Amino acid sequence: MRIWHFVLYSIGIAACKKVGPAADSTRVASASAPIVADARIGTPNPPGAEGEWTMPARDYASSRYSTLAQITSTNAKNLKAAWTFSTGVLRGHEGQPLVVNKTMYLVTPYPNVAYAIDLTQPGYPLKWKFRPENAQAAVGTACCDVVNRGAAYAEGKLVYNLLDGHTVAVDAESGKQLWRVQMADLNRGETITMAPIVVKNRVIVGSSGGEMGVRGWIAALDLATGRELWRAYNTGPDADVKIGARFKPFYATERGKDLGLTSWPGDAWKIGGGAVWGWLSYDPALNLVYHGTSNPGPWNQDVRPGDNKWTCAILARDADTGELVWAFQVTPHDYWDFDAVNENILVDMPVKGQARKALVHFDRNGFAYTLDRGTGEVLLAQPFVPMNWAKYINLQTGRPEIDTSKTTKQGKLVKNICPSLEGGKNQQPAAFSPQTGLFYVPTNNLCMDFESRPVSYIAGTPYIGANAPETGGPGNYKGEFMAWDAANGRKVWGIHEPFPVWGGALVTAGNVVFYGTLDGWFKAANARTGEVLWQFRVGSGIVGNPITYTGPDGKQYVAVYSGIGGDMGLLIAGDVAANLPFDVRERGTTLPDLAKYTSWGGMLFVFAL
Amino acid sequence: MQIKDEGLVMRSWIRVVAALALVASAGCVPSGDAAEAREPAIVRRAAQQPQPTPQPTSGAQPTLIQHPEHIQPGLALRGGFSQLANPFEGDRTKIKEGAALFVSYNCMDCHGADGSGAMGPSLADGRWHFGGTAGEVYQSIYEGRPEGMPAWGGRIPDDQIWRLVAYLQSLGTGKDVSTENFTGKTIQKMGH
Repeated sequence: MRIWHFVLYSIGIAACKKVGPAADSTRVASASAPIVADARIGTPNPPGAEGEWTMPARDYASSRYSTLAQITSTNAKNLKAAWTFSTGVLRGHEGQPLVVNKTMYLVTPYPNVAYAIDLTQPGYPLKWKFRPENAQAAVGTACCDVVNRGAAYAEGKLVYNLLDGHTVAVDAESGKQLWRVQMADLNRGETITMAPIVVKNRVIVGSSGGEMGVRGWIAALDLATGRELWRAYNTGPDADVKIGARFKPFYATERGKDLGLTSWPGDAWKIGGGAVWGWLSYDPALNLVYHGTSNPGPWNQDVRPGDNKWTCAILARDADTGELVWAFQVTPHDYWDFDAVNENILVDMPVKGQARKALVHFDRNGFAYTLDRGTGEVLLAQPFVPMNWAKYINLQTGRPEIDTSKTTKQGKLVKNICPSLEGGKNQQPAAFSPQTGLFYVPTNNLCMDFESRPVSYIAGTPYIGANAPETGGPGNYKGEFMAWDAANGRKVWGIHEPFPVWGGALVTAGNVVFYGTLDGWFKAANARTGEVLWQFRVGSGIVGNPITYTGPDGKQYVAVYSGIGGDMGLLIAGDVAANLPFDVRERGTTLPDLAKYTSWGGMLFVFAL
Repeated sequence: MQIKDEGLVMRSWIRVVAALALVASAGCVPSGDAAEAREPAIVRRAAQQPQPTPQPTSGAQPTLIQHPEHIQPGLALRGGFSQLANPFEGDRTKIKEGAALFVSYNCMDCHGADGSGAMGPSLADGRWHFGGTAGEVYQSIYEGRPEGMPAWGGRIPDDQIWRLVAYLQSLGTGKDVSTENFTGKTIQKMGH
């Protein structure tokens, strides 16, 4: 088994023999030639000015790419902290600020306070502060810290979700609440942590709670009134899933009547998970919204034989009606808590010699998928981190060839499964640069043991039924920030980090890529070579996603939240001790030395030349 | 998220199964969604009707809701939850049964194996948000707490709450340390 593991790991790293600065410089023909040719962002320019950031990933393609280029790989070494702002809230600051109309908008973790900061005035005073009504019981209902992944701006409104299951719209000028709608039910274990997007006056939102026996859904609200326009469930009969005549999945195993019901025993689909707590993308040309779905519940797979559709899947829905147009179940019948909610990045590029409208997805299961976003066909699937639960992805069926020694079962302790349930990558979103043609991916290098145990469903309490202690993966690092070639399924360069890289990526036309670390470094690297150009030690570990904008003074700024938390930093950095012998808290054992470097915080940091 | 288990609860499957059988026969799991959703076998086995509202089995009846972290003008009043004694304290059988209940009511998935903390706070580090006497822990389970701790009073039998308290009492207190020293090669704990 050890040899087999070594072989798999060797395959995993074969694409990147040299790791670190300037790993692949010999390949770069010139300073401006892309490394992957003819790859471009698959959606039109986002609304707003070039120097603005109006939606979570800046554009509908989820590229997190900015055309701003004052800060370059030559001058990034001169970056300095320009100003900071305390959010007044501790816990995990996932998500990102927005910048619209010379105003910066922040949303904090629970209690989900929103701030509007006037960028035109010295000292950056607040225009307003909005403190929503938000049930305190939500704090203990959220599985993985009380995070919020940000707001969306459209037509003078700031729209975001509250942990207690409401969606709110706030007037962007005055801070006045325009509407507030209850979408999720705390008593059923539902919360909301995801960032909405606004598509044609529709606010698209989805539920959290895959560890609580929820039945996951995605819905569209009228931007003007908050009225619900459609809601689609991700388990259950076709009518609820919004499967009809337009549903044309690529693979035969995704076809059939009521699979969201028949791929479960009995009524297990009613509490089977499939939440939508990750990122959304949208292709205006196809009018499709792309979203992933979470793990099936419970983690103990014995009680849910079948594929458990449509959990751990990527779904493409009509933005106007919610109708499912195609579906691809990334990990059928999940044994390992491999949610498929990570971002779907829409890029047009040649794959295997053929121009494709592609969707690139770095899954929890450790494979990087390049799909055709019109059909759901898998074009490429290669491991991007050490991975040993599958031998490969069968491109004829889209399904993994599983190593059965890694499948979990009640009463069986399965050792050394890679990646761990945190995934090769989790919520931390990747970025794509059309300049280089590369994807910039924050990753985890963790493995786990897994033991399932009996589990009871009690509404409003966890529905898990497994223990899965984690350890660092092969090599003396637990995270890696890497550049990925999704046209060929290979790593181009990587920067090893001592801890999982739980913050997102930003890449700019200045050939600079930005990311933050759990131990509190905010870094700028050369997007072509991976050379670290500059770094700054912020107050608390970073789990948020950097953005860039043009200030009213015409200068380019880069902003990021500092504030450790989220699932990876939840326990270690709070009011708890690290690495106690009796302590089996996950981060105490997985990242025993993290507490040496960080504690809770909640700050915005803004940098400029 | 993940919960690691190293404790009393899971060391013996036989013990757990036996305890679950006891739970089922005692009748325990709240109704409502649980019954409606027709869950997997283990739940169906355990699901029963809710019990009548239980009352504390010993000590004076509580006359007011008391938050021990609050200053009480005129010093503490007698007769609050904090002065209830656990009839099962130190009873090894009841502690084992409480350990099984801690799993079957999903307490473990919130509070961690051996109560070591996860989604919810640690119950084993000797640091209590709402007081750590037997009666105060009983009150936290019975009435719930504001940040998502469910109110189990009226949903599960009173004697099961005391079994849970007995289990938590058995975990000991004061395991936390005041000082962590990070200057050595490995992290050192100081104190205790």
